[in-house]
Formats: sequence, C-alpha cells, structure tokens
Amino acid sequence: MDFDMNDVSDQDLVTQWINNAAVAHNATEKLEYLHKLQEVLIRKSPQLLQKFLPSILNFTTDKNGDVKKALVGFIEELCKVRESLLPKVMLTLHMLLCDESIAVQKRVIQALITIYRRTLAWMCKASYVTEEMENAWRQLSAIKLEIANMIDSDNDGIRTSSVKFLECVVLLQTYPDQAENNKPNDFSLDDVPLTLKIARRRKLEEEANTLFELLLKFHGSPHISSANLLTCLGVVTNIAKNRAEFMSRVVSAIESLYNNLPPTLTTTQVNSVRKKLKTELSGLIKHPAAYEFVEKLTPMLTDLGYSQQEISKMVPKAEERRKYCKR
Amino acid sequence: MTTVSDLRIAVICSSNMNRSMEAHAFLAKKGFLVQSYGTGDKVKIPGSAADKPNIYDFGVSYDEIYHDLLNKDKSLYTQNGLLHTLDRNRRIKSHPERFQETDEKFDILITCEERVYDQVVEFMETKTPIENSIVHVINLDIQDNLEEATIGAFLISDMCTKLAQTEDLDNDIEEVLHNFEEKCQRPILHSIVFN
Repeated sequence: MDFDMNDVSDQDLVTQWINNAAVAHNATEKLEYLHKLQEVLIRKSPQLLQKFLPSILNFTTDKNGDVKKALVGFIEELCKVRESLLPKVMLTLHMLLCDESIAVQKRVIQALITIYRRTLAWMCKASYVTEEMENAWRQLSAIKLEIANMIDSDNDGIRTSSVKFLECVVLLQTYPDQAENNKPNDFSLDDVPLTLKIARRRKLEEEANTLFELLLKFHGSPHISSANLLTCLGVVTNIAKNRAEFMSRVVSAIESLYNNLPPTLTTTQVNSVRKKLKTELSGLIKHPAAYEFVEKLTPMLTDLGYSQQEISKMVPKAEERRKYCKR
Repeated sequence: MTTVSDLRIAVICSSNMNRSMEAHAFLAKKGFLVQSYGTGDKVKIPGSAADKPNIYDFGVSYDEIYHDLLNKDKSLYTQNGLLHTLDRNRRIKSHPERFQETDEKFDILITCEERVYDQVVEFMETKTPIENSIVHVINLDIQDNLEEATIGAFLISDMCTKLAQTEDLDNDIEEVLHNFEEKCQRPILHSIVFN
C-alpha cells in the first residue's frame, strides 16, 4: 500500500515538474526541473519512465543548448537502466545529433559511445529481435555513419569526439586477441551470436575495418590539428594494443607520421606530439604483438631519447611472447 | 559570488601546497570554478635542511601541518614563508588532496611541471572514460618557490581568462594557447584526455 501511495505522489510530482519546466522562463529553472525529473524517473521510480518519456523527449525542440544537453544526459542514463526503452529514444538522438549547436552535437556523440555499446550488447542477448529493435538498430546505424562523416567536420571538438566514437565501434566489432586478455565488461565480436540476422558478424567486422581505415586516413592527413592528432594517435595505438590484427598498419602509420609531422604544427605542438609519440611507442614496443616490428620502432624510440638498453628492457621476453597468441 | 565561467578547472602540482594552492586562491578570487590537487605519493615541504624535508600523508590537514611546523621551529618556518603559506591554504580548504584519488570531473587540468603533467596524462589514460567528454591537460612550468608560484598563478589566471572567453573551447584552444605562449615566453604542453 505504501508503495502505491509513493507511486502516486511521484507521478504527481513528475507531472507537475514537466509542466513547470515547459513554462519556465529561463534555462536555469528548466535545467533544475530536468535534473529533478532525472533523479526521480531514473533512480527512484523508473516504473514511471515508460509513461513520461514522450513528455521528456519533447525538450528536443527547446531553444536552449544546455537544456538539450541535459536531455542527452537523461537519455544516456536511461539507456543504462532501461534498455527496453532504447528504441523510443533513437529518433530523438538522431535529431539532436543534427542540432544547430556544436555543443549539443558533441554531447550526443559522447553519449552515443555508451549508447552504441549498450544497444549492440542488448540486441545480442535478446532472445528474440522485435521489429522495433530492428528499426532502432537501423536508425543507430544511420547515426553511426553520420558520426563517421563528422571526422571531416569544420569543428575541432566534433572531430575529436567522432574519433573517440569510431574507436569504440572498431573495438566492439572486431575479435579480441585471446580470451584471457578480455577485460570484464569487454564486448567484442565474439559476443555477437551467429544467429543474429540484423547484425551479421562478417558485416560488422567489415565495417570496423572500413572505419579503422578512416581513422588511419585522418591520422595521416597533412593539416590535422595538434589536438586531433594527439587523440587519433592515442586511439590507433589503443586499437593496436587490443586488436593485434591492426598492429602492422598502426606501426606503419606512426612511422610515416614520425618522418613527416604536419607542417602546420607550431614548435611546442611538435613537442607535445613527440611526447605523446614517446609514450605511445614505448607502450607498443612492450606489447608481444609488436615484436616483429621492433626494428621499425627502435630507431624512433632512440631518436625520442631512449637508450638501446632501455629499449631492450621494454621488449617482451621470449616466454611472454610465447604465452601470447594472436587470433 | 557569481562564477565567471562554467569551465571546471583543476590546478595540479606535486604536493598541493604551494604552486597549485597559489593558483587556486588566485582563480577562486577571480570567480572561477577551481579545485587543486597534488600528484605525489606524499606531501613534501622544505625542512630544516635540503635533505630533511617534512613529509606528510595527503589526509593530514593544513592546520595540523601548520601546528607541527610551529612546534618544530617557529622562526625558521615564519622566515621561509611556510607558515604563511599554510595559513593561506587552510583558509581555502582543509587538507591537501591527491589528484589520483578524486572522482571529480574537469574540463581543464593545469599542471605546474612536466613530471606532474606526465603523471596526470598517464593516470587519465589508464582510467576507462565514462562520460567521454573532452579534457584539456595543459602544462606550464613553474619553479617550486613562493615568488615563482605568485608569477605562475598570475599567468594561469591570465590563461584561464582567455580560455573562458572562447565561444567553443575545444575548437579555439590551440589558437589561445599559441598566442598565450608567445606572450608569456614559456613553453606549454597540451594534450587531450577523456572524462
């Protein structure tokens, strides 16, 4: 009985807050209501979500960027607690991705890193894929392509976020190197059931390969900004360290970058990039899958200030290499 | 007091005692949303000799350190300014905080020396991002003495003011840092990590 009473009052509160937020004069007030709504609908009484979600999604058309960013935050949290509601928010996410505000677009891309992962995992464990799920996946795939295209955006922050999103897609849609390397919660192509018709393993892997090539192309573009280069460098080395199949291409890409840093970088940006190269290259040479590239990595590391002795120490021992088997 | 910008800023040095606290005080006065941290294992401050530093855990409060030094050698620590620094610090917050132990999220992490910058970048990169929002790590070398900390705090505040004036930080930061660097004649390191 208590539960029902509580339920009714929360329901009344939510209705009242939604109405208040809709007529609020300034964004600060709206944001306050949205945060309260998030607290109650997502944490306290998620059973009310289904009913009130459409009213919440109405904030998509709000004029204020911060309100729309808060809405994206709401959706991101919602996807963590109620995966079944994912299909209801895809259209909204797509609309917000096309918003005129750069800050909103960026927020959507960042949230989609979590949402994409959740959606794929959710579909993979579903016993039956409904039409609604299929439509949601289709919409999400369209969003994914749009974000991939945003790697050519005029805005630096959008490009950075797009690169980070693509990193996540590539890792999700490729096979891990060896089972014991799997981190907890690590989703990969191994988790996609062969019976899943709407997302075939081969197709997903093909797509990951295409997106990886896109990242490499961006990494090698002559006029890349320092911030983008730093992010992209981190992303491609992270992919190589987790998916050895990409190691050779990443080593070549870094080698070519090393010999030909973008001419647009200022002296100190070059210092920041060289510093990053030092970290990333020493990370790579410690990886068993990079052993066959030691000869390529060594001259760069020497040039960056490592002694031969330090480099030899970083190279994994024969035993470690034997333990490691590539996929 | 109203804030001048909604950018969340952290200033980080080794012990969260001198450089980061001086900048913390300065930025807070200007109305920035600022926190300060140290990356070291312990809080280390000068002692009676170069090889005898005073060492504390990060949990020990500025007030406790103040009284400890007061008991140890009042005239020495008054003369070298440490008591004054600690008195200033305890008015800002209770104790030195270690960066690696905080769950707070920031838009800008400002470090005061290259070693600290390396530690911050490395720490951020070993964490799995949750929000995936962009964080700028910026290093400005500041020597660890009272006078340089004052100059450093002034430079950091100047830089933050310029960063806060940008319409789109992620897009404009490179230009701002480039101009700032030319003006202040100190090399800057800049990197991107994710929350």
